[in-house]
Amino acid sequence: MPKSSSSPLLRRRLRQGRDRLATALITAGGIGVIAAVMAIGVFLVVEVLPLFWSGSPEAPQVDLDALWQPQTYPGLEAPVHRWQPALPDSDPGPRFGMAPLAWGTLEAAAWSLVIAVPLALGAAAHSALFMSRRLRAHLKPTLELMEALPGVVIGFLAGLVLAPWLERHLGLGLTLLLLLPPGLVVGGALWSRLPARIRRWLPLGWSALWLVPWLLLLWALARWLAPGVEGWWFGGDLRGWLAATLGLDYTNRNAIIVGMAMGFAVMPSIYALAEDALSGVPSSLSEGAQALGATRWQTLWRVVLPAAGPGVFSAVMIGAGRAVGETMIVLMASGNTALMTASPFDGLRSMAASIAIELPEAAPGGTHYRLLLLAALLLFIFTFLVNTLAEVVRTRLRRRYRRLGVSS
Amino acid sequence: MKVVAWHRSGRVRLPRGEGPWAWLAAGSVSLSLLLLALLLMLLATRGLGHFWPSDVDQVTLADGRVLAGRAVKEAPLPDDQGMERLYRTDNRDLDGDIWEWVPVPDIETLSQPRDLVVLERRRWGAFIGRLVAWLPAQGERREGAAAWDALQARLAALDRQRDAIARLREESLLPLARRLEAEGEHPRTVRALTEVQARIRALHEAMAGDVLILESVDGRRLRQPVEEVLGAMRPNAMGPGAKLVAWGDGVWRFLSEGPRAANAEGGVWPAIFGTILLVMLMSLVVTPFGVLAAVYLNEVAHQGRLTRLVRIGVRNLAGVPSIVYGVFGLGVFVYGLGGRLDQWFFEDSLPSPTFGTGGLLWASLTLALLTLPVVIVATEEGLARIPDRQREGALALGATRLEMLSRVVLPMATPAMLTGMILAVARAAGEVAPLMLVGVAKLAPQVPVDGDFPFLHLERKFMHLGYHIFDAAFHGNDVQAAMPLVYATALLLVLVILVLNLTAIFLRHHLRSRHGSLSRY
Repeated sequence: MPKSSSSPLLRRRLRQGRDRLATALITAGGIGVIAAVMAIGVFLVVEVLPLFWSGSPEAPQVDLDALWQPQTYPGLEAPVHRWQPALPDSDPGPRFGMAPLAWGTLEAAAWSLVIAVPLALGAAAHSALFMSRRLRAHLKPTLELMEALPGVVIGFLAGLVLAPWLERHLGLGLTLLLLLPPGLVVGGALWSRLPARIRRWLPLGWSALWLVPWLLLLWALARWLAPGVEGWWFGGDLRGWLAATLGLDYTNRNAIIVGMAMGFAVMPSIYALAEDALSGVPSSLSEGAQALGATRWQTLWRVVLPAAGPGVFSAVMIGAGRAVGETMIVLMASGNTALMTASPFDGLRSMAASIAIELPEAAPGGTHYRLLLLAALLLFIFTFLVNTLAEVVRTRLRRRYRRLGVSS
Repeated sequence: MKVVAWHRSGRVRLPRGEGPWAWLAAGSVSLSLLLLALLLMLLATRGLGHFWPSDVDQVTLADGRVLAGRAVKEAPLPDDQGMERLYRTDNRDLDGDIWEWVPVPDIETLSQPRDLVVLERRRWGAFIGRLVAWLPAQGERREGAAAWDALQARLAALDRQRDAIARLREESLLPLARRLEAEGEHPRTVRALTEVQARIRALHEAMAGDVLILESVDGRRLRQPVEEVLGAMRPNAMGPGAKLVAWGDGVWRFLSEGPRAANAEGGVWPAIFGTILLVMLMSLVVTPFGVLAAVYLNEVAHQGRLTRLVRIGVRNLAGVPSIVYGVFGLGVFVYGLGGRLDQWFFEDSLPSPTFGTGGLLWASLTLALLTLPVVIVATEEGLARIPDRQREGALALGATRLEMLSRVVLPMATPAMLTGMILAVARAAGEVAPLMLVGVAKLAPQVPVDGDFPFLHLERKFMHLGYHIFDAAFHGNDVQAAMPLVYATALLLVLVILVLNLTAIFLRHHLRSRHGSLSRY
């Protein structure tokens, strides 16, 4: 058979040809896929550019001042920031001031970081330094599950359960806030007074679990104290006191609610990254400090945290990126009023929520449409930059740890 | 060495305490765990508790008014006059409202009479009251227990008839109507159509005619056509076993039926179906492309500065907000590609768009793009974990790169790919924001899959569990009434996502232990 005689050469040719073809296909496909993913930025830029250059009649040019500076509108005396795209075209015309949206986005993100960062960093410090290994192995997946909770569910609970509850129990909320930190410290002091036999039953490594009943106890205490606190300091009505003394109106869905809900959503991702950074610090450093007589907390504060600082910073940055772009929570918990007030008890409207609500109704190619795309572009650039920064910092840090680990 | 053991065992007590900060740090872990537990418990109790047929109270007030309903919650009255209690009294057609606030001190007597019935109706929501009489279209009037038995038998028959009508409509009426539309007025089709219509009409007529005489607890009478009644029970007369059966039935109907009353009642079957179909289509798209890109980045591309930059870029795209992907999907897929497709293939139906509006195809493509970085990163991690000597060994034995990839590397990376896919699915199942731009619908009773060619209708809009939550919770007329169903839907969504994530975690663990042992020899 001629086939068998010429086959080794032919087969090799065939195999090599197939290999080359497959490599070419993989290369083309891979580059294509990556290009498609990267095309998002290009698309947004291309769609937004006409706002600033072209002067075609259906998409008139917009100047930057009008977007970001307060404007004088007919019927209003002082120049104000307004985002009212849906006003009828005839008399006042739509008002496009992007500033309230940007403000709302940043305000929501800032409040959620205020809630999430202390919780996440505290949790990371505890689980990196104090927690028993067995508990830690279970805690990480649990918090990963918490990260996976969908935004709609958190937003629903924040907007329809937490917001009305807090509105009715404002005094209790404040009491809890005031009572929890000292309550925990008192709990720690009580623990150190316990006889050693009981303390061995409640080791510090498992305190994350046995502090839960203590927290419930504190909550009960706060419920009992709340009417007293509200009566003593605020004349029995915290809301009225806020309105009368500080001039703050309490809206049902407000920046604080958004901050709590989004803080809850963002906290696990900050925790995961910060914990990686803290527990990645070469153990020779912390062991050295402890050998010199430092307590574990002193070790954390003086040795581990300075070494892991960049990693913790990048964790917070990634949390900020998530908080800025989160849509459903803000949409459901913020009331969506485009205001520019510093009061945490006012509603807000973020860019992401605006896009979600308004883009399906905006005529493609119109000014409103392009402005919403501009908002998307800003979100894209912001998160991309923040994430890149965090990634670069993390890679540097990893290299540093490796050097430290080798030199020890 | 000694120091390490000393540190790890944690048994040696340090001379000084750790100070207040250590306790605050521990407290933040417990607080997060507590909040998570509270959230899950709230969803579970409210979501599942809604289907439990709880007892109905009959309340007599001090001013002589009588009402019946289920207690929902209590709130303090202004000026410290005690509590007031919210009852869900239903009977929207009689009272115009389904809620009643009752000051607790005004309650004279509170009882649970065994003869109170709860009827679930197609219009006006539920009815709570007493069954007075049963007036069938033919036959004699029955009262009391006999009326209840007759009603139960009739309801079972009605269920069968409804099923028969639905089947006729699905299997005969709709295909015939479509054929009529496509082929024009063919006499045989028209005859078949009228025949089916006549059968449906006959079934409807067989269902109609029976009437219930109902009486609310304060004595107002009501004539209720039986074909409008979907279910009847007497919760106060039911034992725990019967209640459990009713509960299971309620859960099953929630999972298997479509929504009613502007998404405030009924089930979520179309939303479950839409979510699953969307996610399946998405993973069909995202897995091959993600693996392709990962293989290119890790195995084929020259490992230089550019590749490193691209890798960082892809990784960062996972952090770009989902709404931005939604904007991209709307601008490029819906308006760009969809508009083109409409101009080329569906010109006769313009200006009403076919693909130029949001739909299943565009939504799944958008989600695929959104989850592409997840798959790429997970697969790349798996590929990087495979030791180089495996590749070198294959090449040294004379394999080409394709053979090395397909016989050695990819099979070893399969768990990583699976993990990536499951993580992608878990992320996509919870995303709602981009879908709001590219094709989710408030109400789409037509499931995108049916017996009509091409069976899978990619251009149709679809329902989604997450959007169902948003819509029912924020756009309903009576949010309070819709809340239990929203809780149940939220619980369902969370359960789906938890199961997916647990699978991914398990797979990743499995993968780590397998390759951990592999790199040791």
